Amino acid sequence: MPRYGIAIDTTKCIGCHACRVACQNQNDLPVHEEFNRIVERERGVFPSFSKEFVPLQCNHCKDAPCERVCPTGATYTSDEGVVLVNTKTCVGCKYCIEACPYKMRTMDHGKGIVVKCRMCIELVREGGTPACVSTCPTQVRIFGDLDDPTSEISRFIAEHRAQPLRADLNTGPRIYYKRS
Amino acid sequence: MPESAWGWLIITYLFLAGAGAGAFISAVACDLLAPDWSRSLARAGSLAAGPLVAIGTACLVLDLEAGLWEPWRQIYLVGNLRSMIAWGVIILSVFIPIAFIYAAALNEITFVGRIAKKYLLHLEIVGSVLAVATAGYTGVLIAVINGVPFWNTSLMPVLFMASAMSTGLAVAMIGAAIIDIRTIKTLSNFALGHVIFLAVEGLVLGLLIFISLTRSAEAAASAQTLISGNLSPYFWSLVVVVGILIPFVLSIVEYYEYGEMPKYLVVGADLLVLVGGMSLRALIIYSGQPPQIV
Repeated sequence: MPRYGIAIDTTKCIGCHACRVACQNQNDLPVHEEFNRIVERERGVFPSFSKEFVPLQCNHCKDAPCERVCPTGATYTSDEGVVLVNTKTCVGCKYCIEACPYKMRTMDHGKGIVVKCRMCIELVREGGTPACVSTCPTQVRIFGDLDDPTSEISRFIAEHRAQPLRADLNTGPRIYYKRS
Repeated sequence: MPESAWGWLIITYLFLAGAGAGAFISAVACDLLAPDWSRSLARAGSLAAGPLVAIGTACLVLDLEAGLWEPWRQIYLVGNLRSMIAWGVIILSVFIPIAFIYAAALNEITFVGRIAKKYLLHLEIVGSVLAVATAGYTGVLIAVINGVPFWNTSLMPVLFMASAMSTGLAVAMIGAAIIDIRTIKTLSNFALGHVIFLAVEGLVLGLLIFISLTRSAEAAASAQTLISGNLSPYFWSLVVVVGILIPFVLSIVEYYEYGEMPKYLVVGADLLVLVGGMSLRALIIYSGQPPQIV
């Protein structure tokens, strides 16, 4: 089985939010709900400063805190290493939202359950890539199998020494960032 | 930054479960240690424990969404024993019936009470263990969340336990005054309990703040919002002064005056403890901040 992940090159991100809109389209989300978002940060002081756009989404952690605290076991990790929510057993207790250090889970108040990035698993299983990856006009995201050393993502991570965000939180994120 | 996913329902639950568990322990302690002269306090504590925890649990259920509209989903709540909520469900579903049966036994209500009275000591032992588990678990519930560094410390269950004891004793004392106002003299003996619990609560709260200030940037930010940030007016007034300092001083006076203190001051001190206990829960939930990730 593959172990899917995404590598993100923030130096290429122009902050156009196309990934967010594509994701909302793919998942039928209303305007105010999002599974990914872009955080803008300023670096340095005038005159040598720059703006960085950091796209954020569920990190599909290996040791996912949300999965550990879920009382019903609705949150689970698929064979492909994608953290998913079983819509039939989630009760909407929101414990996972509190537990996620990356705060990437959101509540669907209509259905009363917690929803999140699913790495577009239905597209991926048909051989495609997640909507945020294929939409990005500047190819910020690289999707692929982290266990395959010859995959584009593995080579990208090795070449640029891409790191997860806050690896010190020890959750084993599967989203890697090249930030400079 | 996203707001806390939990709001007033969860805060009320944390408070009521703690107060109910504390009231149960107060009742057991009175019944075992001083059955002759603390009868009304034991009765009040036992009568309050079950309903308080049950109302708290109702708040917890009301906070669910899909689990509230489709209640059968709640059977999944014990599906993952690594989750503190699953343990909470188990603890609460045993403790609530035992608390009600204990109240029936101690007050000899209906035939259930008369039968249960034969097993009073058993109920007290099992119930006390479950009461400690209930009060402690409300703290562990948030202490295991590493998504909020300020909560992620083993001091949290200790703080919640101390607060549960003082609020529980306050509930029992108010109840005793309602049942029989003449016991107000006797209540001054229990003021010592308040002095001890409030001292422990204040000490642990101080430790939590101090340690948080140096533990991590996020925990420090949470502690800062409490002591000098936008929540500080509530923290200093409701938790520190109203919830701990004033009742602490009143309880010392009450203890040494031995029943000479005006009635409304005795009950007032207990009411202030309850205000402080509720405010403490609310401020801890609202001051929680996620790690800085970017």
